[in-house]
Amino acid sequence: MDIIRVKNLVKSYEIYRKEPGLWGSVKSFFYRKKDFAEAVKDISFTIKEGEVVGFLGPNGAGKTTTLKILSGILYPTSGSVEVLGFTPYDRKKEFKKQFGIVMGQKDQLVRMLPAMDNFLLFKEFYEAPEGEFDKTLEELIELLDVKEFLNIPVRKLSLGQRMRCELIAALLHNPKVLLLDEPTIGLDVVAQKNIRDFIRKYNQKKKTTILLTSHYMDDIKELCERVIIINFGKIIYDGKLADLISRYATEKIIKITATDTISKESLGKFGRVEDYQGIRALIRVPRDRVKSVAAEIISSNLPVDDIFIEDMPISDIVRAIFEGR
Amino acid sequence: MFRQLKQASVIISSAFQRMLSYQFSVITYRIGEVAEVLVLILMWSAIYSSGNGAVKGFTLNEMITYVLVGNLCAVAVRSFLPSVVARDIEEGKLSMFLVKPIPYIKYIFLNELGRIFLSTVLSVISQLCVILFFLDRIFINTDWRYICLIFLMLILAFIIELLIGFLIGAIAFWTEEVNGLQTTLERIKRFFSGGYFPLSLLPIYLITASKYLPFQYSFFAPAQLYLKKVDLGQGLEGILIQVVWVILLSLIVRVVWHMGLRKYEAVGS
Ligand SMILES: Nc1ncnc2c1ncn2[C@@H]1O[C@H](COP(=O)(O)OP(=O)(O)OP(=O)(O)O)[C@@H](O)[C@H]1O
Ligand SMILES: [Mg+2]
Repeated sequence: MDIIRVKNLVKSYEIYRKEPGLWGSVKSFFYRKKDFAEAVKDISFTIKEGEVVGFLGPNGAGKTTTLKILSGILYPTSGSVEVLGFTPYDRKKEFKKQFGIVMGQKDQLVRMLPAMDNFLLFKEFYEAPEGEFDKTLEELIELLDVKEFLNIPVRKLSLGQRMRCELIAALLHNPKVLLLDEPTIGLDVVAQKNIRDFIRKYNQKKKTTILLTSHYMDDIKELCERVIIINFGKIIYDGKLADLISRYATEKIIKITATDTISKESLGKFGRVEDYQGIRALIRVPRDRVKSVAAEIISSNLPVDDIFIEDMPISDIVRAIFEGR
Repeated sequence: MFRQLKQASVIISSAFQRMLSYQFSVITYRIGEVAEVLVLILMWSAIYSSGNGAVKGFTLNEMITYVLVGNLCAVAVRSFLPSVVARDIEEGKLSMFLVKPIPYIKYIFLNELGRIFLSTVLSVISQLCVILFFLDRIFINTDWRYICLIFLMLILAFIIELLIGFLIGAIAFWTEEVNGLQTTLERIKRFFSGGYFPLSLLPIYLITASKYLPFQYSFFAPAQLYLKKVDLGQGLEGILIQVVWVILLSLIVRVVWHMGLRKYEAVGS
């Protein structure tokens, strides 16, 4: 069953351009030129129940705009959007009770209040049934390990602590659809991993449909089987992450550890050397030749201790797609 | 019903809790308020002592009563809603409410109740203290019919204050610079409420106009009722005008809200 259905979605923002400097400001005081910026240009996709889809694209691609339309915050300029069978911008109560959203750069918690008070406030917003709510809350507090700072005003929490509380706030009402806009932004690697692990577990347990944006490819790699890539407001890839890799990852990476220093030149003949550190180096090799090159390296008389073959980082693949290669 | 009450009480008390962390400004603002009233009384005393004994039918004592009772009413119904609504729109905070099952208007009204509770209580107490200080000068009205009517009038005035406050804040949907307009509108409101001087000093056409505007019912009208310068019948007529305004403003709020949301850009990622 399709939980999210987007068809020919277009969103343009009205913008007023102002020439720089004082004179430009004076002119714009009397007359402002209206212009339109198309942030999303005719995109279509569907998402099935229980899927975790990564929504990728460079800055300004239109990801946040799309999520805002899916959650009913913004009206589309044209095209149709359907989430859980509702039209989001009708903002029906029954619809809002079934989805949750986290925007990494925008807090929904009241900063002057402790997290726990916030949760109780949210409970009233959602008119959540007493027993069920308490059970969910307890579970989430446990899973995200936020017990120690539940009673500290949110403004005094660290970014990572706050983000965990934000996640809880978005999940208190057991949503069927979860929209996550950069939930790991600004977090350290450990905190990122914690959030990631949580999202994975949560999806496995509750079968929640999740649409997630992130600029950290680890998030995408670990969570999403399917990715939608968008650039300049248009979808340029929609499919399995694995297919993306096999289609676009033209190179593999051979990681070498040696017992003694190897000169850069002697490695250079196998492929493009990267991250050269004397006894450690990475060599980029075309995919189809990786096996034979690896064999060559091992059988050479270089003091190689260890050798690993890895996929190209997804960020490189995605960058290659963004750049239209 | 119970559910709704609980929801309201949780929202109000969280807003109240939040305001508690601003105790200092909550208290210092009240000093300014009391000072303003005292300055007004000083001013009128000076005017009366230099000229004739009555200004348009007000004796000095009546004028002092007008200032004191009027200000007491004004602080009791005042809110700061415009700036709250405008900020939510400008900073894109409104987005977070649009995805919640509770209507924003309902939330923000309840929130405002909790937010102003402390400052309103303190204002009312400090104004009552000033009144006690001038007790031997002021006109005393203990007729419960008048008092009840004044109460009813103030409740309606508060509802109108919230509705107008919401509309003023909603200007932020259309322009990023609400402050100038907001301040000007506040001045106009104050003028037509009789906050600067009794409206009966105005030319007759402005007096008539102000009677059909909603503003005088938070200051001038209740003060006149208290002074028995208008009778109960005229007071009831005022209430009727207020009821019409509540209905009218509710409709306008609805329309403006939906038009505004079409314009809303949800800034910030
Ligand atoms: N309120 C607005 N008014 C005008 N233009 C806007 C507005 N919001 C976004 N835009 C423009 O729309 C485009 C898409 O923005 P959007 O925030 O959707 O990008 P994004 O993919 O989320 O980027 P990022 O990865 O940086 O978060 C950008 O070019 C941006 O400048
Ligand atoms: Mg974004």
